[in-house]
Amino acid sequence: MVDFFHAHQAQHYLVLAALLFALGAAGVVLRRNAIIVLMSIELMLNAVNLTFLAFARFPLVANSPMQGGFSQGHAAVFFVIATAAAEAAVGLAIIIAVFRSRTSVNVDEFDSLKL
Amino acid sequence: MAEAVLFYLFAAGVLAGGSQVVLRRNPIYGAVSLVGCFFFLAGIYVLLSAHLIAILQVLVYAGAVMVLFVFVIMLLNLKEEELGELRFTFWKVVGLVAVLATAAVIAWRALGPAYPSTGPARDNAILLAAEGFGGVKAVGRTLYLAAVLPFELTSLLLLVAIVAAVVVAKGKI
Amino acid sequence: MNNIHSLRFFWPESVLTVAVLAMLVQDLLVRRSPRRVGLLTIGALFWLALTALATWRTPWGNFPIFGGLLVHDPLRIFFAWLFLAAALLTVVIVPRSKEISSARLGEFFALLFALLLGMYLMASAADLLLIYLSIETVSLVSYVLTGFQRGRRRANEAALKYVIYGGVASGIMLYGISILYGLFGTTRVAGEGGIGAQLADVTSRLFLAHAFGGQPAAQLALVVAVVFLLAGVGYKIAAVPFHMWSPDVYEGAPTPFTAFLSVGPKAAGFAVAIRFFFAAFERQLPGGGYAQVGDLPWPAIIGIISAISMTLGNLTAIVQSNVKRLLAYSSIAHAGYLLMGLAAASTAGVQSILIYLIIYVLMNVGAFLVVIAVSRETGGEDIKDFRGLGTRAPIAALALVIFLFSLTGIPPFAGFIGKYLIFAAVVQRGGFWNVLLAVIGVLNSAISLFYYARLIKAMYLEEAIDQRPFRVPAVYTGVLVALAVPNSFLIFYWTPLVRWAAAAFGGSPSS
Repeated sequence: MVDFFHAHQAQHYLVLAALLFALGAAGVVLRRNAIIVLMSIELMLNAVNLTFLAFARFPLVANSPMQGGFSQGHAAVFFVIATAAAEAAVGLAIIIAVFRSRTSVNVDEFDSLKL
Repeated sequence: MAEAVLFYLFAAGVLAGGSQVVLRRNPIYGAVSLVGCFFFLAGIYVLLSAHLIAILQVLVYAGAVMVLFVFVIMLLNLKEEELGELRFTFWKVVGLVAVLATAAVIAWRALGPAYPSTGPARDNAILLAAEGFGGVKAVGRTLYLAAVLPFELTSLLLLVAIVAAVVVAKGKI
Repeated sequence: MNNIHSLRFFWPESVLTVAVLAMLVQDLLVRRSPRRVGLLTIGALFWLALTALATWRTPWGNFPIFGGLLVHDPLRIFFAWLFLAAALLTVVIVPRSKEISSARLGEFFALLFALLLGMYLMASAADLLLIYLSIETVSLVSYVLTGFQRGRRRANEAALKYVIYGGVASGIMLYGISILYGLFGTTRVAGEGGIGAQLADVTSRLFLAHAFGGQPAAQLALVVAVVFLLAGVGYKIAAVPFHMWSPDVYEGAPTPFTAFLSVGPKAAGFAVAIRFFFAAFERQLPGGGYAQVGDLPWPAIIGIISAISMTLGNLTAIVQSNVKRLLAYSSIAHAGYLLMGLAAASTAGVQSILIYLIIYVLMNVGAFLVVIAVSRETGGEDIKDFRGLGTRAPIAALALVIFLFSLTGIPPFAGFIGKYLIFAAVVQRGGFWNVLLAVIGVLNSAISLFYYARLIKAMYLEEAIDQRPFRVPAVYTGVLVALAVPNSFLIFYWTPLVRWAAAAFGGSPSS
């Protein structure tokens, strides 16, 4: 198993990322609770980050054609983290707004956070 | 040797934490296991020599973002009957495993052939170690030179997100 | 060109950044003023004018700026004017609509400018990362403006739906981007060492691994990545597999913003699609025109999406009773028509998209403006609220008839020019599948007449319960006339449109 890992190191990380992405996608499809769906989206974004970092360490090309070299992958992850935080903030604010308008309009509404 | 063991350990942690998010009925359990998942992911990032990103992962994701999630979950204080229907059933777990297996096979088949079949892949962590690959200096140089425009755009994006969150969620000013 | 020198071509975006902050500050300054609405509108118009001036003064050119992150070319300027026109219409419409309260007008304008900035960047981004960030800026602001009427339950639910679909779409798109980064070692689309250059170079690393049969290594990964990337773009233009959000969002959002959403971000999405596909998978020939590089069948993928979008959009529109939802499905169908031009994968195809987008702004904003005028008075947006409009508000009714005929593409009206050029570009490309696509397009135009005619019938042939004539604000009448005139008479003289589109796309790059 150790030999297998070292022979296909890059693929291990990429497959883990694919698994995480599928897990997030499954969460989005299966769950109706908006907060859990947002958390599943965070899982998908983390899969993206893992893919970026795996490719930054094990690139397919010998020389990065880009200014900034292979650190560009790390920079990309930095931006993804920032936008994910922004998206989560806005998404949660909207969830609060939905919850508020629902309870104020109709108190005995039970499916408040289902889509 | 140690790398392989740690990878499998962390990968198992990531998948366990992630699947709890999908399978747990109560969002608070999901949020806490997501924090765990993010910690294991930070470990994976260290294995990938992405030291700066690993720290950011813990600070921003496991710290700030997840605190926000937990805070909102607590604020809404959903009652038992509002949580939704999904429970840990056998068939759901089987279906999830099947989906994951398919994704893994596709990723393996699609990305596997891209790497050379003879010898190991190019490893930047060794080749670029002298430049401090993945450290604050190397990533910082990229951020402030080649990627300064996206960097500034991100700052604007965060400002807009702050305004936006206030606009949506504030009651009355 | 390096970062400092590039700033000279970055004035419009810089002005917009200041405008976002300035509108927020002005909002606070005039908080208690009785003439608040007027002052804020003047402020917004001032910043729009300044942006327009900056756009106009930007030197002409065709070269990468910011080290290749952006491209400064005529296409960018073309889309800038299109966005400015849509924003101007929105700024003029908003103050007199009852849906945005005067207390929150400043926030609305500030967010609108942030949206405009994101769209400007979408139109010039030549790097996948910047494409993502600019799309994300546009999306974040759109979520909020959709849920702008906080008290309305429908608005909040629409915003929530929008956030969730948007988050999934951008996640999928990012996964595609990360795979492309791995395959090419760069997120740059155009320019030296970019994805396009690497695909064109058969000696590149990508081809060497599997030199046999000319297949690039990991062809499957490339196809998957591009399809994933399309999810993000398709989401912005509301094309079919990613259209589910649009009826709810169009219905829940304040109507002036719906009007903007249906033309602005959609056009920006097309800018991204045009730039990405033509920079990455097409090579410009010396004599003009394009040839495909790599063997990714992207025109076929786009063609299929296009056919499904227009058919599904039109068929679903037939059964709608809410006019905003009806227009939402009609806009999905229009995304399909516009994608036909992209599927043609030719200079003529892209130019026809550009022309159609101009006309689309004129007719779609006009149609939504009539909806605003009606719902202002009747309080509803259903087809039954339009009954008797022909006698109650003759000008608005006549204008709506012109816009609807134009949207259908009936000859004397402007929409016909756009559709004719798109169909011509597809047929010109030749081949069974392209002709079939054009036939599907023509059939769909016929179907669309059916539901537009229902609205016209309600306005002229059905009696309203309330027969009183109603007041349309003078500003609205003015805008309606200003939009209806080009829609009716453009057919007599449309060379400027063609010349403009030709200048915007197809010229050769210089460095």
